[in-house]
Amino acid sequence: MSVDEVPVHSGGAPALEVRRLTVSYETRPVLWDVDASFPTGALSAIVGPNGAGKSTLLRAALGLIPADAGQALVQGRPARSALDRVAFVPQRDAVDWDFPITVREVVEMGRYPVRGWLRRLTGEDRAIVDEALERVGMGPFARRQIGRLSGGQRQRVFIARALARQAPVMLLDEPFAGIDARTEATLLDLLRELRAEGRSIVVVHHDLGTVRASFDWALVLNVRAVACGPVGEVIVPQTLRRAYGTDAVNDGAQDGELRWVR
Amino acid sequence: MGPLIDALPFSYTVSVIALGAAVLGLTAGVLGTLAVLRQRTLVGDALAHATLPGVCVAFIATGAKDASTLLVGAGAFGLIGALLVVGLERSGRTRPDAAIGVMLSSFFALGIVLLTYIGSLNQSGQAGLESYLFGQAAGLVERDVTIMAALGLGALAVVAALFRPLKSTLFDADHAAAGGLPIRALEVVMTALLVVAIVIGVRTVGAILMVAMLVVPAAAARQLTGRLAGVLVLAGLIGATVGVTGALLSAQSGLPTGPVIVLVGFLVVLACLLLAPGRGILWRARKLARDRRRLLVEGVLIDLETALHGGPPPTQHELALASGRPRRALRRALGDLERTGALARDGERIYLSESGAASVHAVLERRDLWSAWLEHGWRLELPDAREPDPRDLRASLGDEHADRLRALAAEARA
Repeated sequence: MSVDEVPVHSGGAPALEVRRLTVSYETRPVLWDVDASFPTGALSAIVGPNGAGKSTLLRAALGLIPADAGQALVQGRPARSALDRVAFVPQRDAVDWDFPITVREVVEMGRYPVRGWLRRLTGEDRAIVDEALERVGMGPFARRQIGRLSGGQRQRVFIARALARQAPVMLLDEPFAGIDARTEATLLDLLRELRAEGRSIVVVHHDLGTVRASFDWALVLNVRAVACGPVGEVIVPQTLRRAYGTDAVNDGAQDGELRWVR
Repeated sequence: MGPLIDALPFSYTVSVIALGAAVLGLTAGVLGTLAVLRQRTLVGDALAHATLPGVCVAFIATGAKDASTLLVGAGAFGLIGALLVVGLERSGRTRPDAAIGVMLSSFFALGIVLLTYIGSLNQSGQAGLESYLFGQAAGLVERDVTIMAALGLGALAVVAALFRPLKSTLFDADHAAAGGLPIRALEVVMTALLVVAIVIGVRTVGAILMVAMLVVPAAAARQLTGRLAGVLVLAGLIGATVGVTGALLSAQSGLPTGPVIVLVGFLVVLACLLLAPGRGILWRARKLARDRRRLLVEGVLIDLETALHGGPPPTQHELALASGRPRRALRRALGDLERTGALARDGERIYLSESGAASVHAVLERRDLWSAWLEHGWRLELPDAREPDPRDLRASLGDEHADRLRALAAEARA
């Protein structure tokens, strides 16, 4: 998708927007005065070096960690009161994978906030859970304990749980870290399908090549927002040099392809 | 409680003890599971130790000797201990385990000082507080058991009502919070429930060993099932069984109740850890040994095929030299092959029988398929998240995909 094909929804509020967001751990700022917005119906990426605050931005926007200043808006409403419009996929390593729970039960958790935390799930919920499992190819594994899955399969389960949420905005924190190439390709296809259905997706991602090839929009972050806009305008040597430092990025060969050299 | 006590096939006193131990084991098992899954087991230990000064303070303040008054003090100190542990952790100046260690030992030291002080008062009837150290089932009266049961049922009802929010928070707190769940409040609820379990159990099991009743049932139950609801129910049942068995043994033998209960619990955990199907240590060790043996036998088959390919049938000695395998391993593998009829012998020399040749063929085919997967697997476009099992690729991929994989590999060779 080239730059001028980026979906533009005139007049609509962005899927996710942060204004002047500042977050510190102790006294060290992790995010400093960040302004960024991610358009509706686009596949967006947050990129930047380690420690740039990529995950922190998502977590602060969702209210999981306190912000010192600034605000986050989901579809134009304060994020804290619009949590029902967001499906969040946290990092996999935050979870105890020996926890006694099956694949299906994890995906059912995506329905709890929709149905009401204290209510039983209905037949409709179960159908939605089945569909989510099928979409990520985990149908045959529904009854398996989550500890007996590979890393790629675990990520599929997490994404199925977000799908079951049926929210218009999806936020994913490093979904492709440490998974096999086949799963990455499958999940990337799935994210594109979801975009085609009109959902807005924001992914914290570390691979500039994929971002360049498959994403519409990007925020380049390094504590401050270095650039935010269509991928073709933002993932360019000048901004990357500012985010990653001069030696990190080399211009590619004659074809103009950007290469990522560390 | 009356009808229940009458229904048991024991004397009145023993029935009261058994019922009390059952209530304690059930609640501690279920509520302890929540702490174990949060990896907060040692907080439970700290809170249990914190109840000791609580009992002493309640005695000094009121002069009462009845369990209910003393347990109010125990509960209050348990909560104070919980607040201090969390506060010290949040200060960010110590690691959680250090915070827990500091609080656990300090509260316990205070408890011992107060116990000694009370002993020095030389009042009549102060004796008995020591039972809160190691536990004593013998002194339980029907009224205590009624109160324990009421508290326990209340706590279990809270777990049942909040089952889905608790499960979500325990498994993935970030996701639960992003779904709008007040996880801080739920953590407070879980800690309060832990205090309830400790208050119910501390008189019978004692402050020092109470942690075992929180952990033992959960650890055993987790070996037996992979679902949270199953773990909770099983932990309750195991806790009750362990509690009753231990309390009755202790009442009969005159040994202190806490240690006896804990030792019974240890036997149960040990049995589960060793024997649990699919998960137990022995079970796994047996499977691992079998897999290794199978790999060895397959390797020797291939060695033999290679040797036969290059010359006359080898002797066992020649085969050992050619394959570089330890003689003992080789002898074992040949023994296995002999038993399955894969070998034929011509004096000292070994060659393959017809069935042996077929096994070699099957092993080679499996290896071919595996290397085909490594090279061409990405072109298969599997319809779901199934992943190959190197031991049996055909079964894990399905016949259709295995055949396609072979076709892809053949195509690439051509």
